[in-house]
This record gives sequence, structure tokens and C-alpha cells, in this order.
Amino acid sequence: MESVRYDINKYSPRQMVVLPLVLLLLAGIVLGYTMLATGLPLKPGIDFAGGTAVTAFTSDSRETIEATFAGYPLLSVGEGIGGGKYIQFGPMDDARYQSLVALINEKYPDAKVDQIGETFGKTLQGQAFLALIFSFVGMSVVVLIAFRNLVPAGAVVLAAFADIAVTAAIMQVVGIPLSLGTTAALLMLIGYSVDSDILLTTRLLKRKGKLDEKLAGAFRTGIIMTTTTLAAIAAMWVVSTAGQVQIISDIASVLLIGLFVDLMNTWMLNAGILKGYILKGGGKK
Amino acid sequence: MKRETIVHLIKDWRVALLLLLVAGSLIGIYLTPPNPANGLEGNLQFGLDLQGGSWLQMEFQSVVVAYSTDKPVGDLIENLQKSLEVDVVQIDQNHLEIRKSVSRADLEPLFAASDAKIVTYHEGVSTFTADEVKRILNDKVNALGMQDARINLLTPTGSEYPQYVRIELAGVDMATAQEIVGKQGMFEIRIQTSGNETEHVLFGDQITSVGVPQRDTRSQAWGVGFTLSDAGADAFRDAALKYGAIDNPNAHNLVMLLDNKTVYSAPLSGDLAAQLRSAPVRSLSASTGTGDAGLEAAMTLEIHLRAGALPVKVDVVGSGSVPAALGEHFKTTVAIAGLFALLTVGVVIYYRYREPSIVIPMLAINFSEIIILLGIARFIQQLDLAAIAGLIAVVGTGIDQLVIITDEVLHEGRVPSPSLYMKRYSRAFGIIAVSAATVMFAMLPLALMDLSTLRGFAIITILGVLIGILVTRPAYGKIIMEILSK
Repeated sequence: MESVRYDINKYSPRQMVVLPLVLLLLAGIVLGYTMLATGLPLKPGIDFAGGTAVTAFTSDSRETIEATFAGYPLLSVGEGIGGGKYIQFGPMDDARYQSLVALINEKYPDAKVDQIGETFGKTLQGQAFLALIFSFVGMSVVVLIAFRNLVPAGAVVLAAFADIAVTAAIMQVVGIPLSLGTTAALLMLIGYSVDSDILLTTRLLKRKGKLDEKLAGAFRTGIIMTTTTLAAIAAMWVVSTAGQVQIISDIASVLLIGLFVDLMNTWMLNAGILKGYILKGGGKK
Repeated sequence: MKRETIVHLIKDWRVALLLLLVAGSLIGIYLTPPNPANGLEGNLQFGLDLQGGSWLQMEFQSVVVAYSTDKPVGDLIENLQKSLEVDVVQIDQNHLEIRKSVSRADLEPLFAASDAKIVTYHEGVSTFTADEVKRILNDKVNALGMQDARINLLTPTGSEYPQYVRIELAGVDMATAQEIVGKQGMFEIRIQTSGNETEHVLFGDQITSVGVPQRDTRSQAWGVGFTLSDAGADAFRDAALKYGAIDNPNAHNLVMLLDNKTVYSAPLSGDLAAQLRSAPVRSLSASTGTGDAGLEAAMTLEIHLRAGALPVKVDVVGSGSVPAALGEHFKTTVAIAGLFALLTVGVVIYYRYREPSIVIPMLAINFSEIIILLGIARFIQQLDLAAIAGLIAVVGTGIDQLVIITDEVLHEGRVPSPSLYMKRYSRAFGIIAVSAATVMFAMLPLALMDLSTLRGFAIITILGVLIGILVTRPAYGKIIMEILSK
């Protein structure tokens, strides 16, 4: 796309990988620090920490809502358009919860209410963690089998890992909690990330021609791919956020961040490693 | 496009298969059975969040322990029952189900006291107990004539024992849902006096415990054991004496009723009659006959004896409800989000290629992919919000892959010869196949895990990738080739 001013052939491999690696390191620090401070690399949302989420349509202002639920462990009040409100509570005991439900029924009878117990949230947490590990291992195996070559395959896996880690760190910084929805988005990111990485690797290693031209060609295709996906996800984000469809809005916001991170990791980190590898004589048949 | 080109295209198996699947999906959604009342939605099944309703997720308060001991296991069970004051059931040769949420650390000394050791410890219940809970819940829901109920047992990955049961009731609010799950029926035992006349003997509250179906070693007949309280046993004996059931059992059937419906009717056995003559009997057994039919009848009777109470205590660990109006709002919102996403993709693609003969097939392929996905989902997967997010994600990857094919084929000039075309196409297909495989592997854990509410998301994504790689991408390759070489 013309508006993108990144000339992929202007920089040396070393220059290309610096920024992504620095960001990956920063991400590691953010996640590691959070891990040390709280025991988890990311702030867990209601799905994992337990609590209650309420979606309601009301003309009441945020302040009114805060006042209404002052006696309960209110965490946040989110607003959409058309009076949509997304109200979150932390874990509470059963008696408190029953009185909360009664209050909600009285004030907002048409609200959607979801509640997750604290220990159950812990179980979900463990399961989500397992899912993430299995996914990553599965992906690495597929990539290794597909390329049968350690450096290019390693570069793809590293780029995917960096995508997840940097996106997770950004989530932590901007305050998007880890929920079932955002876990799914992080997993989905593996898929999107690998798409463009494989395109790049295949074009560079399996096609004949000049390196510069192949790289520029792959970049052109890759940018179209990612921008179309970005467009689709952005549309999904706008509509779901406005309409208070929380889980889709969560998934979309993480995918949006992740796709931008992926642009960097594919065309700087992965491309840089591959370029260096080819310049040093690797990948010749 | 010329008429021959179209005819030529349709004769190609890839395109034909695509059209066939789209047609099949439309038939599946709208015509089998026809459902004009639902309008555009046809026969699609929606999840609770789009339809309105309530869900409850309950955790079994029970653990399953593998043990080893040199002593008779009966003693161990008895000791455990006494000290924990709960039912302990032997589920197979070396596993016990302890129907209480008790930690391993608390169990260790109790096992040690009986000279036994804990080999493994899991939270949850045996599949037998879990199925029973499911049957009881099903019975309750069916008794209320509710059709749209889903009851699922959930087993955490890494364990073989179900730990949760999730019940979803469409069109029911939270309070009603809780009432249904907690509701118990009225159980009564009556005795036949003469002809069709019966007299009250006792109510279900006099039944202190109910056993699991067991086969009598002598008669081979299945039966369910149950225990009466002292007062119940007295009432039982008095009634049997008063109406003459002890002297002439066959003329005085014992009738069990649940909510005033007869669920069991049989005479006293000769043995029991003889025992009752001398003293009250607390431990009774209702025989249901031999073979599979007898077993089935015994399982049903067991549920009835419990009068709707679950054999294991459950705690609600998660719950939620969506009013129908809000579900409707979500449905509209996601439909708009989907259409909007598709449109945006169209605009971006057009901006890049500026060629309607590429953009239109691309969007058409993408759209047909969604229809096929919905067609398959109609049979295997209810559409909840997460599944719809998956649907939109599939649009994203789908377009990605069509872009890869297009760029690969168009590479260096416009109209490649058929042989060069095929070579480039298969190279593009190679890239797509690898990325499809990685997406599938990335999603597989979520699709297989019982506990995630994201199952729908993962299943739709995997299905979408499969349909893409097997049907729609090959068809797209063919269509683009025809168009380019016109």
C-alpha cells in the first residue's frame, strides 16, 4: 500500500531486529514484574478471578450507577452508545451476591448478569494456561515440519512468541484484563502471525530471484493481508464496542493490538533474521 | 463474463463442489424443516446469549480417590462414612467416590487410620454418578415441558472425572432456573387395601438414604435398596399389619408415587412379610426385574426414590442470565458487525486491486464460506457470541489466503499460461496449507477442552479453515484462472 513508508530493503538485518527485540525485552520486564508482584503475568478479568459482570441499558449516568452499587465490590463501569453499560464487580460471598442480584433485578430488570466463583475462576485460569501452552507447542511442531530447517522455523516461532508477549504486555499497560475472550484472541494471534511469516519464508527461501525483489514482493502481499484483516477486525471492534457486546469487543481489541505488533515482528524481526541468514549463505539449495 | 465461461466453470469439480455445499447449506438452514416463521434465521441454533435464558454451572462436592489397602475395603468405607458423615461409594476395584468436598490432606489421616493409602486424588465424581445427575436434571426439566434445555457434564483437561455440570435453559430467568434445579418432588408410599383403593403409609422425608441399583445374587433381579427412619419403619410395619399385607402379600401391592403419579407397584416379598411380622425393618429393597430392562427400571426408580434430590451435593460456581430482549439486541449487533466487516474488507481489497473481476469473486467466495459454515454449524454447534467472533475471524484469515493466491498467481505480469498458472497456484496453496495447519493446531486445545466457553469459537475457526483449504480456496483458484485467461 502506497501510504506505508517502510522500505524493507533499506536496512541491514541488524538494524531490522533491534526494535522488535528491545520491545520483546520490555514486554518481558512488564510481564515478569507483574508476575512477581501478583503471581500472574497479566491482570485477570472476571472469568479468571471470579466476580460478576452486568450488561444493562439505562439512561443512568456512571455516577448514579456507582452510587447505586456503593455497598458492593464495584470494579468498573464501562459505557457504550445508546445507554449501554458494562458493570463489573469483584468476588463476593453468596449472601452479598444474592442481595446484589435482587438490587439489579429491581433497578435494571433487563440486564444480562454473569457470575463466576473465585475458585472456579482459578480452574479456568489453569485450563486457559494449558490451552496456550498446547497451542504454542502444536504450532511450533507444524512450522518445524513444514520448513525442516532450524533457523527459518525458529524465526517464525520467535516472531509468534514475540507477538503474544508484546501484545500481552501492551494489554497489561493499557489495562485490558486477561479473560476467556482475550485468551482466545491471543491464541488466534498465533494463527494470524504465522500466516504472514510463512508467506515471507516461503517467498524468500523457495522462490528464485533477487533477494531484494522477493522481499519487496512478500512485503507488498503481506501488507495487503494484514491491512484487510485489520479492517475486518476494526469493523468488528467498532460495532461490538458500541453495541456493548463485551466478549467480541475484547477479542477485537486484542487482535487489533496484536496485528500491529505482528506487522513489526514479521517485517522487522522475522524478515531481518531471514535476510541475515540468506546473506550468510543459508537457504541455498 | 461469457456464457461458455460460466458453463465451463460450473463443470469444474471444485466450483461444482462449492456450489453444491452452498446450496446444501441453504437447504439445511431454511428447508429442513421449513421454518418461515423465523425469517432469515431459519433453523440456525443460537446460544443463550443471543436467545435469552439462564445458565448455571455447578461443581460436584465430591472427590474420587484411588486407594491401596491389605484389609477388606468394606471396613475402610465404613470408617470413612462414619468419620466424614457422608456417602462413600466404591466405583471400581480400587477407586472410591467420597461425596463431600474434602481435601487430600484431610483424608490422609483417615485412610491411615484404616491402614490404607491414597494413591491418587481427584475432585469430581465417577462417570456413573455424573450420568445419574444428568438424568435427574433432565427428568426435572422434561417434567416442566421445557424443550430448550442443555445439560452438559464438564471434565477438566487432565482429569477423567467430571467435576462440573452446566445447565442452560432458554427463555427462563435466573430465579426460575434456580428453582427448577433445586426443586424436589413429593414422594409417597401407599399400600393397596382392596381393589383400586390405597392408603397412605409414609412420605419421602422418612427415607433416609437411597442406594444404587444392585443385582440380587440369588434371583439375578435388579433392585434399589433404601433405608427408612425409625418412625418410617414403624409406619411401614403398622400399615402392613393393619391391611393384611403380611398374611396375603399378593393382594396388597406397595405403591410408590412421585407427585401423585405411580412410579412403582409390587407386592411385599415373602421374606420381608415374615420379617415384618416380628419387628419393623429399616432396610428395604425394591426389585425391578432381571436383565437390561430391570437395570433401567432400577435406575429410574432410584431417581424417583430421591424425589429429584441429586445423589451428590452441588455448589453453584457460575451463573448468568440474558433477557430475551438483550439477546435480540446482541443478535442485531453481531449481524451488523459481520456485514460491516465484510464490507470494509471489500473496500480495502478494491482499493488495492482496483479490478472488479478480482474483488467480486473474492467477496463472493468469502460470503459462500460463511454460508457453508453456518450450514454445518446448524447441525453441530449452537451459535453463541464466541462462535460468531470465530466466524468473523474466519473472514479475516479467509481474505488473507485469497490475497496470497491472487498475488502469487498474478506475480510478474498478468496472464500466465495454464501450466505456469498451476505451478504458481500450487506454490500459493503450499503456503496456505501450512498456515491452515498452524491455525488448526493453535485452536485444537480450546476446541477439545470441556471447560472453556470458547469451544464454539475454536470449533468454528477450525471448521472455517478446513472448508477454506478443502473447498473454497481451490474453487477460487479455478475461478480466478478462468477470469484472467478470458
